[in-house]
Amino acid sequence: MSDPRDHDQPDDSDEEEDFNPAPADVSDDEGGNAGNNDEDVESSPPGKARKGLPAPQSDVGDDEEDEGEGDEDDVNGNNDDEEEEEEEDEEDEEIQGHRRKRARRKDKRGAFFDLEAEVDDEDEDEEDEDDAEHEGFIEHGEAGEAEQFAREDDARHRELDRRREMENDMDLEQEAERLKKQYGNKRSGRSMHDSAVVPQRLLLPSVDDPSIWGVRCKEGKEREVIFSIMQRIQQKQGTKDELGITAAFERGGPNSVMKGLIYVEAQRQTDILQALDGMLNVYPRTKLLLVDIKEMPDLLRVQKTPTLEPGAWVRLRRPPKHSGDLAQVIDITDNGLEARVKFIPRLDYGLRDDALAATTADGKRKRTMGPGPKPPQKLFSEVEARKRHPRYITGNPQTNIWQYNGDEFEKGFQVKDIKIQHLTIKDVNPTLEEVTKFASGGEDGVENIDLKSLAASLKDSTINVMYLPGDVVEVYDGEQKGVVGKATNVQGDIVTMEVVSGDLAGQTIEVPTKGLRKRFRPGDHVKVIGGSKYREEVGMVVKISEDRVTLLTDQTNTEITVFSKDLREASDIGGQGSLGQYEMTDLVQLDPTTVGCIVKIDRESMVILDQNGDKRHVMPSQIANKLPRRKLAVAADRNGAEIRPDDVVKEYGGMGRQGKIVHIHRTFVFCHTNATNENAGIFVSKVSNVATISAKGGRINAAANTSDLSTMNPAAKRPEAKNNMGPPKQMFGRDRLIGQTVTIKKGGYKGLLGRVKDTTDTHARIELHTKSKIISVAKTDVVVRDSVSGNVIKNYDSRKPGAFGMGRPGGDRAAPDWSNAGGRTPMASASSRTPAWKTPSAGGAGGAGGRTPAWNRNGDGGRTPAWAAADGSRTVNPYDGNRTAYGGSGGRTPAWSSGSKTPAPDSFSHGSKTPGYGGSGSSDPWGSGSKTPYGAAPTPGASGGDSWGYTPGASGGSGAYDAPTPGAGLLGAPTPAAMNAPTPGAYSAPTPGAMNAPTPGGGWQGGGWGAESAPTPAAAAPTPAASGFSYAVDAPTPGAWSAQTPAASGPRYEDD
Amino acid sequence: MFFLYNLERRLTLHPSYFGKNMKDLVTTKLSKDVEGTCTGSYYIISVVGNSSISEGRILPGSGLAEFTVAYRAVVWRPFKGETIDTVVVSVNQHGFFAEAGPLRIFVSAHLIPGEIKWDPNGTPPSFHDEDTTIQVGTHVRVKIIGTRAEVGDLWAIGSIKEDYLGYFFHRIPLWINVHVC
Repeated sequence: MSDPRDHDQPDDSDEEEDFNPAPADVSDDEGGNAGNNDEDVESSPPGKARKGLPAPQSDVGDDEEDEGEGDEDDVNGNNDDEEEEEEEDEEDEEIQGHRRKRARRKDKRGAFFDLEAEVDDEDEDEEDEDDAEHEGFIEHGEAGEAEQFAREDDARHRELDRRREMENDMDLEQEAERLKKQYGNKRSGRSMHDSAVVPQRLLLPSVDDPSIWGVRCKEGKEREVIFSIMQRIQQKQGTKDELGITAAFERGGPNSVMKGLIYVEAQRQTDILQALDGMLNVYPRTKLLLVDIKEMPDLLRVQKTPTLEPGAWVRLRRPPKHSGDLAQVIDITDNGLEARVKFIPRLDYGLRDDALAATTADGKRKRTMGPGPKPPQKLFSEVEARKRHPRYITGNPQTNIWQYNGDEFEKGFQVKDIKIQHLTIKDVNPTLEEVTKFASGGEDGVENIDLKSLAASLKDSTINVMYLPGDVVEVYDGEQKGVVGKATNVQGDIVTMEVVSGDLAGQTIEVPTKGLRKRFRPGDHVKVIGGSKYREEVGMVVKISEDRVTLLTDQTNTEITVFSKDLREASDIGGQGSLGQYEMTDLVQLDPTTVGCIVKIDRESMVILDQNGDKRHVMPSQIANKLPRRKLAVAADRNGAEIRPDDVVKEYGGMGRQGKIVHIHRTFVFCHTNATNENAGIFVSKVSNVATISAKGGRINAAANTSDLSTMNPAAKRPEAKNNMGPPKQMFGRDRLIGQTVTIKKGGYKGLLGRVKDTTDTHARIELHTKSKIISVAKTDVVVRDSVSGNVIKNYDSRKPGAFGMGRPGGDRAAPDWSNAGGRTPMASASSRTPAWKTPSAGGAGGAGGRTPAWNRNGDGGRTPAWAAADGSRTVNPYDGNRTAYGGSGGRTPAWSSGSKTPAPDSFSHGSKTPGYGGSGSSDPWGSGSKTPYGAAPTPGASGGDSWGYTPGASGGSGAYDAPTPGAGLLGAPTPAAMNAPTPGAYSAPTPGAMNAPTPGGGWQGGGWGAESAPTPAAAAPTPAASGFSYAVDAPTPGAWSAQTPAASGPRYEDD
Repeated sequence: MFFLYNLERRLTLHPSYFGKNMKDLVTTKLSKDVEGTCTGSYYIISVVGNSSISEGRILPGSGLAEFTVAYRAVVWRPFKGETIDTVVVSVNQHGFFAEAGPLRIFVSAHLIPGEIKWDPNGTPPSFHDEDTTIQVGTHVRVKIIGTRAEVGDLWAIGSIKEDYLGYFFHRIPLWINVHVC
């Protein structure tokens, strides 16, 4: 039969394959499979041609089976030198492959020429033979043509089937035989890979394997080189000079350390030189680096490269003009080397070109951008570009894609292909501001930030994510996905967490931070940490979606959205709201005439609502100072009602806002309302533009019903106060000692002369004349001297506690306040009394010694006739009890005490405001808590006559302090009040000048006795009357100059 | 939620008040001091009776007498998760503020059901859907989802994004303001 013949041939050829190439093979194949295995014939050649791979593809199925058998044998046989064998196998295979390939190639080529024809012929011959045979049979039967054909056909088919079967049987056996012979004592590498049981370490390369050399190449061209090597291999495949290298690969990459190297595996170094000879970008002639066997596996270790995906955020490194700019990846090129990114262009549209061209005619430096400033980031504008370079711009306004100067612009963004190594992919940290610039490019104006990609970019930079023990975290990625727990320990990238719920509850697991996020719940009080621009904000979580958390800030009640990684659980109290010494709603002085209330605090700046209602952004350095919150500030609202901080007031007219007073400053009130978030609810209004809503009634009630039980019972106090002013608790005003020339009586500095710079209640700080030093000395240890003459001024009045004794006029203590006054004027002492003094005293106040008739006559102890006359219309001063300011003044006179009681209340009550009161602008002075002379003083009578209340008549008739004499009373004014003021301010205030200028009032209110009161116009410009009194000494404390009466003008500062 | 709570407080009395009616004074002062105030987590609504006042001790130095007063008070503590009836006091696009007695509650727009939309053009501006309108004065049932203590005040965030929350109509004022004068 024909079968054995058919099958013998392929076998032979296969066996001979190694020695004997092409033609036989071809013929075998064709012969063997002829007609039967058409598929094989058709499929195999292209496969081989394409791949050029070792294993003969046509016999794959058979081969594998057979090899499998062989393998088993092998495994049983010898396991020892598997590696070597494997290696050899590979070589063998390779060689075979080459050979075979060559064979196949020929085969393929042959297919188009005569070989095919031969085969066909053969087939035909066979068929012919068959036909001939059949013909013989056919002759027997008489049949129609069709029948004959059918029978013929049938027979042929059966014949075919039979042949196939036989073929198969024989084939397998023989094939097995053959393979066994061929690979009997060898193992195939492939099968080894297939049996997964082989430990990996056994696969490691050994000394017998080809070595790997590193070959230098141009950086960035690694992959190209490899490609060209591949090409070359293909070209040379099957030719005489096949390449001797077995593998080549590169590990270049944007961040690889193996940049600029390719790795070639070959048996000998010369193979490499040969293979790479004349290739571009690779330098085999330089020193080749032989890779240590141990390091070989490392070379192939797969590192997870940061994957760039469209939409990701990156930073540019090139071009230099854009270095550091944020860009968004649009696309990645196929080879993964370049990314198409879009970013905001920095164009100057040729504005600087001309200048450069003009300066450098040589054209050499023209192209360099130079270190000049980068143009700002701005979206591309066609109009701008056309202005200067109409020729350079091409594009389509419809799609909004332009080419300009060789660059491409899409919708305002520049689009460019940039090598990935020129991009910063890790730690991009795009800020929300930067990203919003990209988002705003949307045509519809809708901000469509892809927060997801943003999140991904941010997540890459794990540096910023900080987990602290105690954070509640959630695993959102990986096996433990969904597990919630509390972080107990953080080490590097690993967070140990204690699971709080679910199946794992109670267990402790370790999770990499990568798949971890912090977990919050609506209502949690959180603080923003980390890179967000909202850093330090504190608020309450209102919404959570994935890792984006929306919170409502405490400070401003606005909603912000941040990543949960930037949040921390915050303690209930605290939070932002302070920047250095400044806090929210603090009142600060911006310039001498402007104050403002802090309504927002950022990291470095703050927003201030000034008194005019304007908002300003200021730095802390721009703030002059912070005004302390004064709880006692008082103002009168538009109805004349008293308002204080914490009262609820409503704007009259305007927006009709209602709020709680936070600050009162002069005529402005800063209020806080909950109705709006604007300016953190703070608004400013004029005092005269608000009306009290609730406070007054409440306050009066409170005052009436329940006074402060931890202070003196007012009920118990009052009767006492009637007779007796009570000891002054505190002193106000500038210490008259300040500025005086003194000598020191005791201590190490005894005898030294100095000037008092500052005082406390007990001590004076003295700047010595002798050496530049300021020392602190007890007030009792200084002696005041005249700055010119150097004479001791004995009765110098000061606030020093021990001064009571000085100049005390012995037994003629008329009233307690007298005695308390301490620095009583010399006038009071009998020896220096003016006639005016004496006269009245003889008249009826003998005992009192220092009292005027008016004083006595009144019988009230402190009231002037004038007062008495006006009594009907006067109210009792509600502040009676705390009229301490008067007490504080040492130089009190009877007139003073009398005055203090009456006019003040009078002027306070709004119904009967004196002009003086009105002139002072607001009722602030009252708010200061010290009953100032203001109210009392400014009656026309007083001001008209004399600031001191010393009308010429009065002064002529008596000593200065007898102001409340009938003479004074004649003026019809409660002038004694003028005497109330123990301070210069007070004294000066009632002068006409003071009347016009409300500033003293301000001075009072501010409590700034020291500096402010002195320089009032009044003080600066003493009234004629005052100047008449030789008022020359700069210390503007008239009280101190108690002897300044005309009478005293001779013996000023009367000596004891 | 309201509670009767036993509390203690120290009060001082100036010597000038010493006398027969000291206890009354202290009691009055106690009421005045604590009623309507907010500690960190609750409001003291009212002092209810049987307060026991200790003997006064004179504080050295000042002469004031210190009394330790144990008293019982009605306190109100808002809890996370508690549902309360409130009155809307101000509305803006981010949400609305509602008051439950002394407590201010902010309901963010995120915590308002999606179908209730912000309508800035209405007078007054409001949140509304077909059948409900949330504007100033509306009675709203709110679930507290978080509270925050400030100095002397409490402050909460609420939600109406759940069943049975939000606008409701009721004839009786549901919340009686417990400010004590």
